[in-house]
Amino acid sequence: MEHRSLAQRLTARPELGPFVLLVVELAAFWAINHDFLSPQNISNTLAFTVELGLIALAMTLLMTSGEFDLSVGSVFGFSPVVMWTLFNGGFTSLEIAFVIALLLAALIGFANGWFVTQLRIPSFLVTLGMLLVARGTALFITDGFPQRTWNAGGQWLADVLVGDFFLGPFRIYMSLFWFIVAAVVLGYVLAKTRFGNWIQASGGNAGAARARGVNVSRAKVALFMLSSVIAALAGIISSIRTSAANPNSGTGYELEVIAMVVIGGTALTGGRGTIIGTILGIFILRVMRNGIVLIGVPGLAYNIFIGSIILGMMALHYGIERRQQAGG
Amino acid sequence: MAEELIRMEHVSKLYGRVQALDDVTFIVREREIVGLLGDNGAGKSTLIKVLSGAVAATSGEIYVRGRKTEIRSTRDAIALGIETIYQDSALVTQLSIARNLFLGREPVKGPRLLNRLDQSAMDEVARSLLKRVGIGKNIPPDTPISSLSGGERQAVAIARAMYFDSELIILDEPTNNLGVAETRGVLRFVRNARNSGHSCIFIAHNIHHVFQVADRIVVMRRGRIVADDIDPKRTSVEEVEFIITGMSPEDLRETASATGA
Repeated sequence: MEHRSLAQRLTARPELGPFVLLVVELAAFWAINHDFLSPQNISNTLAFTVELGLIALAMTLLMTSGEFDLSVGSVFGFSPVVMWTLFNGGFTSLEIAFVIALLLAALIGFANGWFVTQLRIPSFLVTLGMLLVARGTALFITDGFPQRTWNAGGQWLADVLVGDFFLGPFRIYMSLFWFIVAAVVLGYVLAKTRFGNWIQASGGNAGAARARGVNVSRAKVALFMLSSVIAALAGIISSIRTSAANPNSGTGYELEVIAMVVIGGTALTGGRGTIIGTILGIFILRVMRNGIVLIGVPGLAYNIFIGSIILGMMALHYGIERRQQAGG
Repeated sequence: MAEELIRMEHVSKLYGRVQALDDVTFIVREREIVGLLGDNGAGKSTLIKVLSGAVAATSGEIYVRGRKTEIRSTRDAIALGIETIYQDSALVTQLSIARNLFLGREPVKGPRLLNRLDQSAMDEVARSLLKRVGIGKNIPPDTPISSLSGGERQAVAIARAMYFDSELIILDEPTNNLGVAETRGVLRFVRNARNSGHSCIFIAHNIHHVFQVADRIVVMRRGRIVADDIDPKRTSVEEVEFIITGMSPEDLRETASATGA
């Protein structure tokens, strides 16, 4: 047991399956259409991938603690609407509107966490309710119309969040930088810190964690707040990049994000989570969406492939888990 | 005689109208393994749940080293040095041995803000603890609990209690569902814990297991303690069985022949 070979160590890692799948995907799409790996296509794919990816990173920590958040898609639409309504109406500067939008998102996350930990209602029901509340509010304050965001030009905040520049032939948005920062920080928190140990213990065996003095409720509330704030940030970034704050944007993102996380190897039931796996999961799904269109499969067939990937990866993860437990 | 570590005095517990504990006085001394025996529903579990903070007693007092204390939660009990080990429930199976040992009390290195786990220190302690508790096999400290056997899991739980200076380790049915060799291992871990200065309460259905480790045996029946000073070296298993069931040898023989056993 002490001297396992490198190959054995690698195959025991939950990230191996997703990694192989991503490589196969990239190779297959590239073989069929060489434009797939063109700088322009890579730049385009990256721009939106990192926006969804930010949410998936935060969701990984939340799911490791044994909860999940269905309201992220609504918050993704709600927060930019709040920010731009405040700014366009001349109520505040863009910076203050930005801070208010993030604080409101934090409040939404706090409410989610409070309902889940204090009233002991399953996160599925709590965040489903919050999904409707946040979406409804966004639609109500805008009368259903998109908010203009073209006043963002020349604002330093917009440049910091999504300013773009060319790196060789690649058009890179600042959001890629924020995604990398978030991945490094959250990966470090989950794997290397005390708090990360508490997150995993809360999801694995909350009773045992509580008996050892771990404040499970506080950890979960903090993660709900993190997930909401990151979803708000992603929504704001997206609204600036696409020059529109649509109260309907983000619909359905919650399920795509959860799919990314579980495909990467994080357990839906909690206790085990991997940021590297989530990054792989993010790219597996986004590359699939982009590649399918490029190789000429009708875009409407996209969900067939996504669904199949989810089913296949789940079969793989659970198969490995069962084999490891049996092998003891 | 060694000093008293725990004294529970006149403890009663009512579940509705059911008297689970009836004026129980129970003592554990320093460096002593107390075997707690009794039939199903005799009140053993309730007694240790009161002591470990899982349920509150209806009346009665608890003293730790002569000082009266209130135990309202499992956290209170752990703070007083009372650690309860239930089969499986105390560990997070997804986490490694080292991470389980230090759960909630993880050492941190570097700047406080970075909150960084001192993984090498944890591994170091875990390795030496596993040796001290008596696990012969060389198990790496980063092994997840889920790939350990039942006996090894008990060993990790006992090791944790020993490392964090629990003065009293309560083991509830630690030999349930274990094989012969594993059981022997757990009994050895318990003896090692006593030899390094810890007291234990050992609860098991299997009287023979209790006889092999206990310094003193306490028997409960119907919420009361009916014998609290049985010396396993000078008492036979049969005699203890009579005390547990409350039947004389003649009664037992009659029921045995009546049921044809």
